[in-house]
Amino acid sequence: MDFALNDDQLAVASELDKLAARFDTSPVDFHGFALVSNELDQQLEENGFFELASMDDMGPIAAALATERLARQPYTAEIALSMLLRPMLDINLPRPFAVIENGRPGRFVASAKTLIIIDGDAIGITHPAAAHVEALPDSLYAYPMGRLIGSPDIKPLPAEQAATVRTWLRVACAAEMAGLIKAAIDATVEHLSVRKQFGRPLGTFQALRHRMAECTVLAGGVRNLAFKAAWSGDAGDAALACFHAQDSATRVIYDVHQMSGAMGMTLEMDLHLWTYRMKALLSELGGRGGQSTAVAESCFAEA
Amino acid sequence: MDFAWNSEQQAFRQSVREFLDNNLPDNWEALAHGPGSEAQTSFSREFCGKLAAAGLLIPHWPAAWGGRDADPWTAFILAEEMWMAGEPRGGQYMNVNWIGPTLMKYGSPDQQQTYIPPMANGQTLWCQGFSEPESGSDLASLRTRADRDGDNYKINGQKIWTSYASDADTCFLLARTSPGKGGISIFLIPMDSAGITVRQIPSIIGEGDIHEVFFDDVTVPETARLGEEGQAWEIIRTVLSLERVGIPRFALASRMLQRAVSLLKKAGRYQHSAIEQSARANAACEAARLYSYSIIDQRSKGIEPGPEASAGRFATVNCERLVSEFVVEHVPEALAGEQPMLLAHHQRGIVAGIASGAAEIQLNLIATELLQLPREPR
Ligand SMILES: Cc1cc2nc3c(=O)[nH]c(=O)nc-3n(C[C@H](O)[C@H](O)[C@H](O)COP(=O)(O)OP(=O)(O)OC[C@H]3O[C@@H](n4cnc5c(N)ncnc54)[C@H](O)[C@@H]3O)c2cc1C
Repeated sequence: MDFALNDDQLAVASELDKLAARFDTSPVDFHGFALVSNELDQQLEENGFFELASMDDMGPIAAALATERLARQPYTAEIALSMLLRPMLDINLPRPFAVIENGRPGRFVASAKTLIIIDGDAIGITHPAAAHVEALPDSLYAYPMGRLIGSPDIKPLPAEQAATVRTWLRVACAAEMAGLIKAAIDATVEHLSVRKQFGRPLGTFQALRHRMAECTVLAGGVRNLAFKAAWSGDAGDAALACFHAQDSATRVIYDVHQMSGAMGMTLEMDLHLWTYRMKALLSELGGRGGQSTAVAESCFAEA
Repeated sequence: MDFAWNSEQQAFRQSVREFLDNNLPDNWEALAHGPGSEAQTSFSREFCGKLAAAGLLIPHWPAAWGGRDADPWTAFILAEEMWMAGEPRGGQYMNVNWIGPTLMKYGSPDQQQTYIPPMANGQTLWCQGFSEPESGSDLASLRTRADRDGDNYKINGQKIWTSYASDADTCFLLARTSPGKGGISIFLIPMDSAGITVRQIPSIIGEGDIHEVFFDDVTVPETARLGEEGQAWEIIRTVLSLERVGIPRFALASRMLQRAVSLLKKAGRYQHSAIEQSARANAACEAARLYSYSIIDQRSKGIEPGPEASAGRFATVNCERLVSEFVVEHVPEALAGEQPMLLAHHQRGIVAGIASGAAEIQLNLIATELLQLPREPR
């Protein structure tokens, strides 16, 4: 049991910090929802970050650390699935990856080269042509959203591989959520520290301090559970991590918006970048109900 | 980052489990009900004696005091297994965790010779006289007085919520020798001293757990004082840092959650909201577990845990709450007495946010020290 990063992981973290620094502020004139950077994507690709999970001395835990770290940047790209799912399926599959769950719109669908199609209990895979997908520019989610419009050929995955996909989608969701929650809390703490009402910083009011403290306890739990699940690759660990991520985010989203007042409603504060990414993740894999069923099957199997 | 146990740790856990299998009586679960009951206290004396003989009571103590200098993981694995079994050590867990180590650090040679060997042999019970009727979270406001009387001190005042007081041999007492935070001193007081009256407080948390303790002109020699006059706060900080991780409550909570689900499955009642609530409680138990492990990891590397320890404590409060609520809603027969162990867990679980420091005080610490929010005005 060791919670410290080893030398290899530290090296990755420091490389990532350097890379991320170039994408850590949104442009002053940005008043939109999905803030995507193709350059970020390209840099990650060129520097081999999408292969971390399949590298001998790195593995999925390094990929989860990277996913969590990058989720704290205002700029995003299709990162989580490429880092944590693709290497488990076939590292040669073309990216970006995206998921269509029961016909609903999904993140990065319009640019995806590989689509995971979840249809009830069945999971298939396809490589859509441009005509099969379309972007949804009016989406409120702070990721580029898209949907499937045609009927591409879908290759069904055997049950074992389908289970692998579910597990790693859950790990990816938890790791990404951990970063988003952290970024949302950091932004709110900053607001509470500088914004004064009744002659003192909002952060001195206990009613708010306690709620923020509770949020940060949840955030730490999500992070540890996500890393543990990435380490073990266990279906039960993944389901617990994803459940805790979605459950905690539901609460954190409300609290951070509430404490940011009207400022949090603007497209200027960037809070929506975190909260409307979290909201996009809340429904994935069946939401909390879906994760619960998985926990029941994996963690209470012997009860 | 690595979440695996090494082979030594696995073997140690296995040896503790085997010891428990061989030494807990068949009626243990009925006995575990009421952590401070006379039945459990006398069982614990016998049990701790056996633990000591097997080298499993104080492995993390220095060899000079009968231990084998084992690392913090060994102590924590032991604590986890004990708590998961329903804490057959009873109140003696306090001796092992912090009273013994505190005396090793601050006690006079006489105090050490008198008090440490019986702890190492599992033959003595202590109680902790901190809280008072007017001083709970605001412990520094305590009023119990220890007045100089020649070479002695005369102690007057009242303690409350004192666990194990009716069976304890000795009290680790905080009393005031002068005004202010710096005016509190520690006294080690035999509980059969003249002038001490103990009254059990009937409660929802089981027989024999909490008490009032009255001190009327209790006279003790100067040698009963631990450390210097006014040194209590400094010593207490050390004590609390040894206790910072707290009891591994998640271990029993998680086991009882499994048991509750198993009962529901057998009865065909594991469905609807029970499924989601069990997942939520399970995730909270595992979150609390990983927090605790991360703190032990720090300690094993010689880093004194900071505010993350408060976060871990709060995560533990969450997990106890969710498991208790799950049982009440879905296995109501447990509280009606049909499931003694679930009932005992409920009684222990509901105090998680109060005993050994209220949860809201932890939140204050997290806000200031972990989040670095500006402090509340005083
Ligand atoms: C089962 C059990 C066993 C115990 N055993 C012992 C023992 O052996 N020895 C011993 O000395 N004590 C013992 N205690 C007492 C325990 O340490 C106290 O209960 C605890 O410190 C809280 O004090 P209190 O109960 O007076 O609550 P209070 O301090 O009155 O607090 C009541 C509520 O107010 C909140 N509150 C208080 N101050 C603040 C603040 N500044 N900001 C926000 N909220 C605040 C608290 O968080 C809590 O929610 C035990 C308690 C229990 C329940």
